[in-house]
Amino acid sequence: MQKFIRINMTTLQSTITEVPEKYVGLGGRALTSSFVNDEVIPTCHALGKNNKIIFAPGLLSGTSAPNSGRMSVGAKSPLTGTIKESNTGGSSSQMLAKLGIKAFVIEGKPDNTTFYVIKLDINGVTIEEAPAEILGGCGNYEAIRILGEKYGKHVGIALAGPAGEYRMPAANISFKDPEGNIRSAGRGGLGAVLGSKNVKAIVIDETGAGAVPIADPEAFRAASKVFSKAILDHPVAGTGLALYGTDVLVNILNEAGGLPARNFTAGRIEHNDNISGETLNATITERGGEGKVSHGCHKGCIIRCSQWYPDKQGKYITSGFEYETIWGLGADAGIEDLDAIAYIDRAMDDVGIDSIETAVAVATAMDGGLIPWGDGKAVLQIVEDMAKPTPLARIIAGGAAVVGKVCGLYRTPVVKDQAIPAYDPRAIKGIGLTYATTTMGADHTAGYCISGNILKIGGFIDPLKKEGQIEYARAMQIGTAAIDSTGMCLFVYFGVADNPGGYQALIDMINAQYGIQLTSDDVDELGKTVLRIERDFNKRAGFTNAHDRLPEFMEYEPIAPHNVVWDFTPEEIDEVMKF
Amino acid sequence: MEKSSTALEIRGFLQLDAYLKKKFGKTPVYLEIEAPLSGLELSKQLEIDRDDIEVIFVNGFVQEVDYILNPGDRVAFLPPGCPGPYRIALGFYGKNQGNEANFKIKNK
Ligand code: SF4
Repeated sequence: MQKFIRINMTTLQSTITEVPEKYVGLGGRALTSSFVNDEVIPTCHALGKNNKIIFAPGLLSGTSAPNSGRMSVGAKSPLTGTIKESNTGGSSSQMLAKLGIKAFVIEGKPDNTTFYVIKLDINGVTIEEAPAEILGGCGNYEAIRILGEKYGKHVGIALAGPAGEYRMPAANISFKDPEGNIRSAGRGGLGAVLGSKNVKAIVIDETGAGAVPIADPEAFRAASKVFSKAILDHPVAGTGLALYGTDVLVNILNEAGGLPARNFTAGRIEHNDNISGETLNATITERGGEGKVSHGCHKGCIIRCSQWYPDKQGKYITSGFEYETIWGLGADAGIEDLDAIAYIDRAMDDVGIDSIETAVAVATAMDGGLIPWGDGKAVLQIVEDMAKPTPLARIIAGGAAVVGKVCGLYRTPVVKDQAIPAYDPRAIKGIGLTYATTTMGADHTAGYCISGNILKIGGFIDPLKKEGQIEYARAMQIGTAAIDSTGMCLFVYFGVADNPGGYQALIDMINAQYGIQLTSDDVDELGKTVLRIERDFNKRAGFTNAHDRLPEFMEYEPIAPHNVVWDFTPEEIDEVMKF
Repeated sequence: MEKSSTALEIRGFLQLDAYLKKKFGKTPVYLEIEAPLSGLELSKQLEIDRDDIEVIFVNGFVQEVDYILNPGDRVAFLPPGCPGPYRIALGFYGKNQGNEANFKIKNK
C-alpha cells in the first residue's frame, strides 16, 4: 500500500492513510497540482495558515529507470500568487518512493516561533524541535552537516535555508545531494512557504525500506534498456551536457542574439568567452583537484549535466553551476569573472535563495542604481547578508518585480512577478509565448519537452517570425506538464524525442511498473489535464488572460543585434492555451 | 589579427572552441576571403570534421552548413550537442534535415 501523509503544523499531529482514489495514478507535478487545486483556497495568503505544501516523487522515482530521481514540490507561490510546481534532484525523491510514500503534505501553522524538523522513516512521522545551531542564519552546508551528525550521514534532507526561515519571496527549498552538497527546488518561493509553517528541515531515512514494487520486472528491464540507449546515443545527452553542462548555452544564445544583457537592454555580450560552458570545462580540467566536469544530481542519472567547480587551488566551490545562474550574473548583471559568479552561486545555495530570481533582481537593481554594474563583490555581500538579513538583502530577495518597483523602473523583466530567465523573448519568440502563458510565471522549464508533435512543427520555425510559434509553445507546455509528472529529468527528452523507440520505452516503463496500459495519447492528455487544473486554480486566484503578457517595454524597446521587439497581439497569445 | 571589413569572423562552440583556440591561438579567428564561399568549404579549410557540424550561425542566424558566406560575415560552427527546446526555437530543425551530422541518433 502506498502512503499519503498529512502533517498538521497547527496541532503537530500527522496522519498516514492510503492514497485517495483520485490520486492513485498520479505522480510528480500532476499530483502536486491536482492536490493544490483541490485543497488550497486560491485566494489565501501564500504565507498564511491556509496554504499547503506538498512533496511528491515522480511516477518512476525509486526504480532503476535512468534519471528518474526528480521530485515535485507544489503550493501557492508567495512570489507569483499562482499555483506553483518546483522540481529538484537530490536523494529525497528516491528515498520517499522506496518508503512507499506517494506524497506528504504540510498544512496549518504553529502559533509560536519554534522551528521544527520533520522526520519521515519506516515507522512514520516524527516532529521535533529544530536544533538551535541550525537556526537564525546558519548556512545550508553547515545545517546539512549538523543534521547528518544527528540523524545519520545517509539520510535525505530538505531545508528551508535562512532565506526560507525569513520568508523571503525568492527563497527556495534546498535538497541534499548524494555527496552532501545542495540541489534546489528553486523557483516561486516555496522555501518561504516551508518557513511560514516553521518547518526548518525534513529528514528522510530510508533504512529498512524495500525496493519499489514493479508489476512486470522483465518488461521494465527491457524498456529501461531501450530508454538508456536512446539517451546515451544522443549527442546532446551523451556529450553536450555531460562535458559543458547547461552553460554550453552561453555561446549559442549569445551568437543567436538572444542572451539578455544589462537588464534586458541587449541580446549579446562581448565577454561571453569568460563565462561560457567551454571555458567552464577548460577551467575545471586545468585546475583539477576536486573539480569534475561531469556529475549527477542524483543516483541513476546517466546524463550528468552537473559538475564540481573548484577554486584555483582545486578545492570545491559549487556544483550544479547552471547556465541560467551564470547568464543572470554574467550577462544580465555584467559580472565578467566566472570565479566571482561561482562564489555567489555557492552563497545562494548556502542561504537558500533562487539563483535565477536573485540574479535578475540584482541586474534590475543595477539598472536602478542600487548596486554598481558588474560588481561581483557587492553582490556576494548582499547574498551573504540574506542570512541576517539586511534591508537591501531583503529587497533583492523580494525578487525582480519588487526591486523594479522600489527603484521606480518600467523595465522590469517579469511575468506574473517572476523573473524572465536567460532567453530573450524578442529574439526567440516561441519561448516568449511560453513565458507569457505558463501557469507558473516566466519559467523556461515550462516549455522544455521536445516531443514528436513538436518535431513536426519544428521544421518551419524561424526564431524571429510568428509562424508556427503558437502551436510550438502549446505543444511544449503540454509535453512538459506530462513529463514533470513522471519524475524524469527534463533533459532525457532531447534523447528520446529524436528516437520514437525511446519515447515509447518511457511509457513502457510506467506501464510495466504499475501494470497499466498507457498510450502516448494518454500521456498527452495527462499534460493537458495538468495545465487545465493549474489554470483553474489561477483563475480562481484572480488571474485572467490579461496576466498572460510579457512586460510592456519589450513591445517598444528593440533588442540588438537583431533589433526586434515583441509583437504578438493579446489575441494571438491567448490562442496558446486553447486546446 | 584584428578584423578588417572583408575578413570572416569565425568561432567554434563545444569541442570546436578548444580546437580553434589550439590551432589559431585564440578566437575569434579572422580570415580574409576574396570571394564568397560555403560554410562547408570554410570548414574544410579549417580542417573541421564534417561530423562536428550540426548547423552554422551566420550573422546571428542559424543556417545549414552549405550556406554561402560573404566577406565580413560573422560565422560560428556548432557541433551536435546543443540542448533544450532552443534547437527548435532557434530554427535548427528546419536547417538540418538533410544533414547527416544533425542531432538524430547515430548508432554507436
Ligand atoms: S541531467 Fe542534470 S539535472 Fe538531470 S538528473 Fe542529471 S545532473 Fe540532474
